[in-house]
Amino acid sequence: MDIGGYLGKMLRVDLSSGKTFVEELNESFVETWVGGVGFGARYLYDEVPAGVEWSDPKNRLIWTSGPLAGSGVSGAGTFNVTSKGPMTNLAGASQANGFFGAYLKFSGYDGIIFQGKASDWVYLWVKDGRAEIRDARHLVGTDIWEMEDRLRKDLGVKEKEVSVYGIGPAGENGVLYSAIVGDRGHLAAHNGLGAVMGSKKLKAVVVYRGQRAFEIKDPNRLKEKNEAMFEHAKTFGPFYQWGTGGGFSALYGIGCLPVKNCTTNIFPEHERMNGQYMRTHFEVRPMPCYMCRVAHVKEVTVTEGPYKGFVGEEPEYEQLAAWGPQIGNTDLGAVVMLTREVDRLGMDCNESSWTIGWVMECCDKGVLSKKDLDGLDLKWGNVEEVRSLLNKIAQREGIGDLLSQGVMRASQKIGGEAAQWAVYTQKGASPRSHDHRGGRWAELFDTCVTNTSTLESTWAGVHTQLVDLPTVSDPFSHEEMSTTNAKFNGIRQFDDCLGTCRIASTHPKLQLECLNAVTGWNLSLEDAFTIGRRVINQLRVFNFRHGLTKDMERPSKRYGSVPVDGPAAGKNIMEKWDWMLENYYTLMGWDPKTGKPLPDTLTKLGLQDLIKDL
Amino acid sequence: MICVTVELWMWLSKELSGDFEALSEMRSKRKEEIEEGKTVQQLLDQLARRYSPVARDVFDLQEKRVYPHVVVNYNDRVISPHIVHDQVVRGGDKITILPMYMGG
Repeated sequence: MDIGGYLGKMLRVDLSSGKTFVEELNESFVETWVGGVGFGARYLYDEVPAGVEWSDPKNRLIWTSGPLAGSGVSGAGTFNVTSKGPMTNLAGASQANGFFGAYLKFSGYDGIIFQGKASDWVYLWVKDGRAEIRDARHLVGTDIWEMEDRLRKDLGVKEKEVSVYGIGPAGENGVLYSAIVGDRGHLAAHNGLGAVMGSKKLKAVVVYRGQRAFEIKDPNRLKEKNEAMFEHAKTFGPFYQWGTGGGFSALYGIGCLPVKNCTTNIFPEHERMNGQYMRTHFEVRPMPCYMCRVAHVKEVTVTEGPYKGFVGEEPEYEQLAAWGPQIGNTDLGAVVMLTREVDRLGMDCNESSWTIGWVMECCDKGVLSKKDLDGLDLKWGNVEEVRSLLNKIAQREGIGDLLSQGVMRASQKIGGEAAQWAVYTQKGASPRSHDHRGGRWAELFDTCVTNTSTLESTWAGVHTQLVDLPTVSDPFSHEEMSTTNAKFNGIRQFDDCLGTCRIASTHPKLQLECLNAVTGWNLSLEDAFTIGRRVINQLRVFNFRHGLTKDMERPSKRYGSVPVDGPAAGKNIMEKWDWMLENYYTLMGWDPKTGKPLPDTLTKLGLQDLIKDL
Repeated sequence: MICVTVELWMWLSKELSGDFEALSEMRSKRKEEIEEGKTVQQLLDQLARRYSPVARDVFDLQEKRVYPHVVVNYNDRVISPHIVHDQVVRGGDKITILPMYMGG
């Protein structure tokens, strides 16, 4: 294969038979799907037919790197996991940073496809083209940190010699929003991909910083464009200086912080919980991902309050929101503690927090009592009781068993008025930890129409000028928002094919230049959009085969409600929801009545073979 | 003349100290006098001409509009840039300038 950036090999692991196979990638497949979620989308469609449920051994768990991973591009240690996920029982795709995406290639593979189910707990060991399925029974019950430590000790390797990703107790016990966690706090968190891993009795994957190399077609051009991309990332928003938490207060200012399960938008304590406060008051140490100069990932030591001295990974924005205002907590140190706890147990912080925030609202309004919650006192802000509840959920013990199913299923089970208070989409998963009813309608809509269970198309309507699209002038315009989402759609999914971190690669055109330098291609921005749209349509046809309907592309009652106070009070996204859907579907080349891709759309994207399946 | 409050959440407190009241490192506030009948656009133009950090980070003096990475709240409500520009300010109004934020 004469394309730079690839090893040209996929590793297939049949956990049922205990055998591994090596499969060659061909040029046509690589040019069509590029890598990451592109590879995952096509393999998933080809190998997981209708009727295969998320926990079926026939489901696939597809880990894929991308052409930029390990290339020297800043932050290119990213990989993608694709599967049929339990939260939506539709496609799921989620990315994690760290080192794995680069090390997988240095170990000889562009991706790994897991199929079947092991008879007892195993882990996969990969080094320089060799792959072994090994006994993991001694790791059962370990949390993520213990698992990483035990494996490194067993293998006699130093910290950065291997990349380790796996599941904690939550994934072992089938919590539906379990994550795949590794490299000291990075997560592929969405749509319960850790639960799929657990259903296959696969505890962990270890890849070495091996000796396998791949060609870079134009190293000088890559160096030049990578430098320009770094310079752009340094001044793009607050990430370089303050991390993702740098936008915490700005989001409050536009009504986008989730406060007490979206019952209010008033949170005056925001300035003591943002990224700037953390980096100027806590002790902070860099923990950069593979060759990342942006290095937004840090470790922190809490220096004040009840958790003074506690050491943990620096909470990202979503964790600050999830374990701060959403649960009524105003202590930043407690956010660090709960972030570590949920990562350690191996769960998605977003679904965990929407679930617990809903429980707290139920307690506040007298629907649930301490007796219902195994004696736990879930008042707003009671962080130690939240920690206990997280552990109950991970073990599926007592009330934790119901809550392990996520907030949609739990609220439907409790029923009554409480069922109206839960925040989720009708596909079954919760949004990220924003209150999208504020100045983020673009993300609310995107969260509902996504094909992966998480954001698919938008940068929240922000920075569209980077891909030559007009900026959004009114964040509360139904027309403008649904149109911009459709026009922007594609570039993010293209990005997720490449094996790079979005925070380090903030400029799509420079990123594309890096890709062309590595591969030897000459892709245009239009080509990039086309590839991304191909991925979206591929996932969408998969989802229709597996039960997607237009009715599922809506928010829950609370998620789509009108804010009662704050900067977006009175704004109502739902008054034109059906119009927005039809506008968006039409602009995407989908049937406005059903949302199904039209034959002409699929043909233009080279997906004519899918027409018969619709 | 009327008096309005301008609050910047732009981490400019140190740079603008003396002219703006520093509420925190992030937030700075100023009471600004402006002729009756002027718009938010004209208010920001007036501030940008006087304070170079405002011209650099908030209001583009050449294009006569707020930068794309800025959000403007009018009396604690998010309103769109077009409305911001046309909005006639009244005595006692509060204009808040926030950074637009991608991601999270």
